[in-house]
Amino acid sequence: MPTNSGAHGENDATDNKTPGTNENETAAKVAGGAVNATGVSANVSDTNAKAAGSSADIGDSGVNTDAHDNSSVKASKNAAGSTDETLNAHVKGVSGGNASGVNGGKAGKGKKKGWIWAIVAAVVVVALIVAFVVIRGNQKVSDGMARMHKSDSVTVGLKLAPTNLDIRNQSGSSLDQVLVGNVYEGLVARDSNNKVVPGLAKSWEKNADGTSYTFHLNRGMNFSNGDKLDANDVAWSINELMTRHYHDSESLMNFKSVTATDADTVKLDLTAPYANLLWELACRPGLVFDKNANYDMKTQAVGSGPYTVAKFVPNDSITLKANPKYWGEHKAKTPTIVLRYFGDDNAAVNALKSGDVQVLAPVTENLAEPFVKDSEHYRVAAGDDTDKYVLAMNSKGVKTSDVRVRQAIRYAIGHKQLIASRGGADKPLGGPIPSLDPGYEDLTGLYPHNVDKAKALMKEADYTPDHPLELRLTYANTYGTELGDQLRSQLKPIGIDLKVNVVEFSTWLQDVLKNKDYDLSMVDHNESHDFSQWTQDSYYYNYSNQKVKEYYNYAMAASSDSQRDALLAKAARVVSEDAPADWLFNYRITTAMKAGVQGFPLNLNQTLLPLYNVRCMTTVK
Amino acid sequence: MTKSKSSSKFSIVLRLIWRRGEGKFALIVLASWVVVSLVSLVWTPQSLWATDGYHVWAKPSVAHWLGTDGTGADVFSWLMAGARTNLFIAILAVVFAGALGILLMSAMVSRNSALSNVSVVAVDALISIPTVLIALILAVPMGASVAVVIIACGIGYGLNLARIARPQALLAANSDYVGSALSYGASGFSVMLHHILPNAMPTIMVQLSLSAGTAVLAESGLTYLGFGVPSGVPSWGHSLATSVKFINVYPLTVLWPGLIVTIVVVALNVFGDVLRDAIDPVTNPELRRS
Repeated sequence: MPTNSGAHGENDATDNKTPGTNENETAAKVAGGAVNATGVSANVSDTNAKAAGSSADIGDSGVNTDAHDNSSVKASKNAAGSTDETLNAHVKGVSGGNASGVNGGKAGKGKKKGWIWAIVAAVVVVALIVAFVVIRGNQKVSDGMARMHKSDSVTVGLKLAPTNLDIRNQSGSSLDQVLVGNVYEGLVARDSNNKVVPGLAKSWEKNADGTSYTFHLNRGMNFSNGDKLDANDVAWSINELMTRHYHDSESLMNFKSVTATDADTVKLDLTAPYANLLWELACRPGLVFDKNANYDMKTQAVGSGPYTVAKFVPNDSITLKANPKYWGEHKAKTPTIVLRYFGDDNAAVNALKSGDVQVLAPVTENLAEPFVKDSEHYRVAAGDDTDKYVLAMNSKGVKTSDVRVRQAIRYAIGHKQLIASRGGADKPLGGPIPSLDPGYEDLTGLYPHNVDKAKALMKEADYTPDHPLELRLTYANTYGTELGDQLRSQLKPIGIDLKVNVVEFSTWLQDVLKNKDYDLSMVDHNESHDFSQWTQDSYYYNYSNQKVKEYYNYAMAASSDSQRDALLAKAARVVSEDAPADWLFNYRITTAMKAGVQGFPLNLNQTLLPLYNVRCMTTVK
Repeated sequence: MTKSKSSSKFSIVLRLIWRRGEGKFALIVLASWVVVSLVSLVWTPQSLWATDGYHVWAKPSVAHWLGTDGTGADVFSWLMAGARTNLFIAILAVVFAGALGILLMSAMVSRNSALSNVSVVAVDALISIPTVLIALILAVPMGASVAVVIIACGIGYGLNLARIARPQALLAANSDYVGSALSYGASGFSVMLHHILPNAMPTIMVQLSLSAGTAVLAESGLTYLGFGVPSGVPSWGHSLATSVKFINVYPLTVLWPGLIVTIVVVALNVFGDVLRDAIDPVTNPELRRS
């Protein structure tokens, strides 16, 4: 019940913004950011729902204690009964054995006959033992020649489940994770370092001012239903995206037109240069669909990728089978891959332990400890991602508009300690751009951990531990209470009395994202290439700096990637210096897997999970 | 004079409870609960607000008697401080439930048939709403807070109490002595206070003591769901909720709060049972004699 209402509420919040957008791209991006988080929260409310079941008992017992007592008595009686039964069984077994022994003695009247039988029995036993040993010995010999065998099927445990497969309309990174690169392919693709690489197009060039791109497609491509894939499908897909405003269509900025100049060439024109175009085309906007196919996109998928969707069970699992008609180099190494979704972290860990899944991504770092210790059977590794844990400090808030307060908070936070408490895999991040995004620069030196400096700044602003500034930190309960508890204790000595307000994700969306009613907020901005949020005055940060906007606009109009990256880095530095937020850390995804699993992507695997290379090797005798 | 009389009655009841083994256990546990709560106001082995990211989930040591939690804070100190929150919640929930229960009970046995009929139906209908649901409804406007737990428990247990105490009260209300008291011109209020309430008191006391136990459980449950005690307020439910996610890896940190909740709830339930015997003149001859 809470699951449904919660999820609905959030979808509404995002949907409201996505199509009906008067608020320009801002709203669109907000929606995008919110969407990813939405998935997370839906999951948590899942666990809540489960928990609700258990606590309903508490409520019931509160209402009717007698019933509760009775049931518990019953339970204990049952337990007693069962132990009795096992005891009885034991006794029976023993007595049975005795009885047969006695009978045997009675039966063996003639002593000679008994001896013969005893000898025969002994011989048989010895023979059996010898045979067993010999067979075992042979096995050992064959063990010596054991070969690694590739399993036909690998099961992967994931966290966020898609509700349907309609990648053109349904938001949420869980769909990108499953379908992009596995079932559907894009005009271009991105590699595990978030760099654009060839996809359906083997090469491309752009004109001097960056307003026209020409893509040269691979030859002999086809969809899983056998249809040919050529430039017409590409142009049709992108035109459909733009005219029907499918999900993420707004990220193809400055779009003018796309045409198939011949069967292998596609020309895309822009009204003005847009430096992120290729990267966006590597995501949803660049996906190519079969123009002539007719199928229900919510439950089926016809793409050109190495896998096809064989079975889809909403919120539970997706079964992928190798596409027999696959045209390209990424041929599936494992015939069947099953993706199973676990809302509950502990259930996921147990599934890996019991062998129900061979891979778990992500796994909470602290929960992965048993797997880390058992390195003979499991492998645990962390991959880079673009998740930024942003502690936003309302730049127009009554208490946080004072830059000294914001700077003091940045000096006071011990990022390394926060990271250590989470297990140590995450990376410190000093600014708005993570290492896998263009424009990254290590900015952790701007506000190093320095409590004295923080105290001095707070004192200047007239706050001390005896006369503290009361601030409210609002964040969604998906992130647990630990971070808030730690921040409260880290900010206490500099004269900040932090009230931690852990709320439902929908409340966060309403209060912080929409109404901007907050002092401090924390959320995981997991999207890549999302720097533009710092250039939008209407975003919940309440941050506005003309210089940042100029740098960003120049960067988007840059003619080369290196020029773009340099400008973005400059903009990011200015943002970080202004201290509209503190970047707690760059979350890295921990993946746990059985020792024999190979080729599972670690970087970015919550949004980009190419499975063609995944295989599980087991030893066979 | 009445005071000394009532205090002597109190000591008789207490003595009888103490004389029984389970009563001794209950009294010791409840007394320690109160003492620990008071001590935690002025002293805990470690500061509640000291976190240490480098030593999270530490094993028990001299500095941290029960180890540390996911923020590096001292588990023992948090459990000590949690005692006071849970005590506060239990007491207020019981007071609230008692007041509501007695009020409803009075209405249910009222001579005004319209009032009694309506209240009987209302209580029967309302009792079907689980405490958790009441808490959820309250949590929407109020957010997670101690008040949500207290009010939800108070309403839930108050209704329950009224229904359970009603037969006893009805028996007294229909008795000859109440009839004669009324014929002497005693007011309904005075009859309630001097005749009906004392008769229903043993049932009410026992029910309230059981409610206190359930309130402790409800706090843990609601806090686990995120509708109970807010972040930053120490409570046993908070200690459970923050560690239960890691039960596979650090089972000990879940064990301690779980153990304490169990012991306290058992003590309260046992206390209720023993109290029933001790408070009832039928089963307590000493009380009869005094």
